[in-house]
Amino acid sequence: MTLIALPLLILWAAAIALALLDGRRRRPGMVAVAALAACVAVLLVLFVKVVADGPQELVAGGWPADVGIRLRVDALGAVFAVVSCAVLLASLLQALITGVQSKATPALTLFMALGLTGLFLTGDVFSFYVFFELAMIAAYALTSAAGGERRAGAAFIFAVVNLIGSFLFLIAIGALYRATGTLEMQAVAERAAPLDPTTALLIAITFFVAFGIKLGLFPFHFWLPSVYLAVAPHVAAMFAGALANIGAYGLLRFGAAILPRELALSAVALIAIGTVSIAYGALQAIARRDTREVLAYSSIGHAGYILVAIGIGGAVGLAAAVIFSIANALNKTLLFLASELRGRLTATAFLIGALSVAGVPPTAGFFGKAALFEAGIDAGSIAVVVLLFVGGALSFVYLFQIYQHDRWRPREQREREMPTGAASRGQRAVALAVAALVLGLGVWPEPLLAIGELAADELLEEGVGP
Amino acid sequence: MNLAFAMVVGALFGSGVYLLLKPDLFRVVAGLVLVSNAANLTLMASGLTRGQAPVQPTQPGAAVADPLVQAMTLTALVIGFAVTALLLGLSVGVYRARHSVDLDEISRQQAADAVLREGREAPHDEEHELHEAHEEAIAYDEATR
Repeated sequence: MTLIALPLLILWAAAIALALLDGRRRRPGMVAVAALAACVAVLLVLFVKVVADGPQELVAGGWPADVGIRLRVDALGAVFAVVSCAVLLASLLQALITGVQSKATPALTLFMALGLTGLFLTGDVFSFYVFFELAMIAAYALTSAAGGERRAGAAFIFAVVNLIGSFLFLIAIGALYRATGTLEMQAVAERAAPLDPTTALLIAITFFVAFGIKLGLFPFHFWLPSVYLAVAPHVAAMFAGALANIGAYGLLRFGAAILPRELALSAVALIAIGTVSIAYGALQAIARRDTREVLAYSSIGHAGYILVAIGIGGAVGLAAAVIFSIANALNKTLLFLASELRGRLTATAFLIGALSVAGVPPTAGFFGKAALFEAGIDAGSIAVVVLLFVGGALSFVYLFQIYQHDRWRPREQREREMPTGAASRGQRAVALAVAALVLGLGVWPEPLLAIGELAADELLEEGVGP
Repeated sequence: MNLAFAMVVGALFGSGVYLLLKPDLFRVVAGLVLVSNAANLTLMASGLTRGQAPVQPTQPGAAVADPLVQAMTLTALVIGFAVTALLLGLSVGVYRARHSVDLDEISRQQAADAVLREGREAPHDEEHELHEAHEEAIAYDEATR
């Protein structure tokens, strides 16, 4: 079962080695890409194995099962790990082709990949925190890495707000440990079931606030636009496509698998907060002109969709949350990567991303939205269905506003306002590859839908306890 | 004992949040350090047993303190140190650019910069764009004629 440890070891060794080298040179960049590509390949193998044989486990260091720290991967963790690493790979490639301004970019990207992969593959509550903090610290450093006062300021806000979230998470872990006496996720889930509802609900709320801050949900969103605006597009793609998955995964893991009763208790509150998030994100996005600002607010709205799906719950709701998260991660990566490139082909790639966000077939986004509709109908709530429809229509409006604003204008003006120059062949290739993936999952959605259902079934099984 | 822990944690968290709300970069960092230590103390307090050494006892059945929370706190402390160093580094970056750690002063400077930038970018207004496009069209017409 070394297959679980392998991606972590590859990333860890490569990240440490690259931290000592100048990442602006060609060779370290290529090493980073190779390491990430190897990691994606191993994760894909692991993913296939998990789908075929069920969850895999590894107790680190050969310790007895109850003593050692456990790595555990199920369908949910595997699919999030594959998507996040693939997103990071595409963003890093784009960064290297465009030219990185900072020595540390490749190493920090690998550290972020290590943190993300680790937290998706761990079966231990506290090592979840450690990996999570590793990914977040890499993200803070990456925000400020390219230099400039504006980025240092944005990184400061980003770090301060998210650190409060991290410390709340730590306090919640302490409380959960005190209440259940274990850190092993499955055992925690079993022992949390008979807990006093007040205690468990308090712990659940603290977890919710911690992940809400990461995900950029409505009342905790204020850090998000300033960060997405300050960083380069490829870094924004990493944040929106990979780092935001922590929030969705955390809510699913800690909510649906570990504290399912508390999740069901707070369903109405979750759907309400999600609704406000959707409305706020969409309305703010419509009011903005700058592409990245629009995308940042649209991320806040999409976090709301995930929360509504989790709030609806059950097999259909959780599956919708997983499917929508994956489609959304790919969409946002595509939009950010294509947002500042000129040229007909990248405009097409951007258009595919915009259609996917709006939920027009044949794109991956259509099935994300369709799954949400199904969950809304399953919950028997007309309000949710109407909300989803209005939200989708609004996203159509704001994305075509910026498409029109950026692309439908005389050539000279475009060149003046998008000074990055026409997209090089490599940049185009990366953007088109992600676009092809989004289209491909729209044309052949069975894997996406199947994995969503499988992940939801496993979560429900864990929630009930063996 | 639990009450003592709870009161200390509450005091630390409260003072931390109070400092976080101050308009001064270094106070914000100090506030975050206090909040992080409130979290660390919570972890220590969540130990299932305490008061003894956290090592395997020589006599079977002797009392032992919960070693797990101590390991967790140690890890969290190290992470807290790293994060504090990073935050201080970022503050230095901001200070170098603005020669101030006062957040009000920094946002005043940023607002002034934004006004300057807008002044420079004024021709990018929509009306002006239309006007430009119109003129371009006229020039094109004249050239083709």
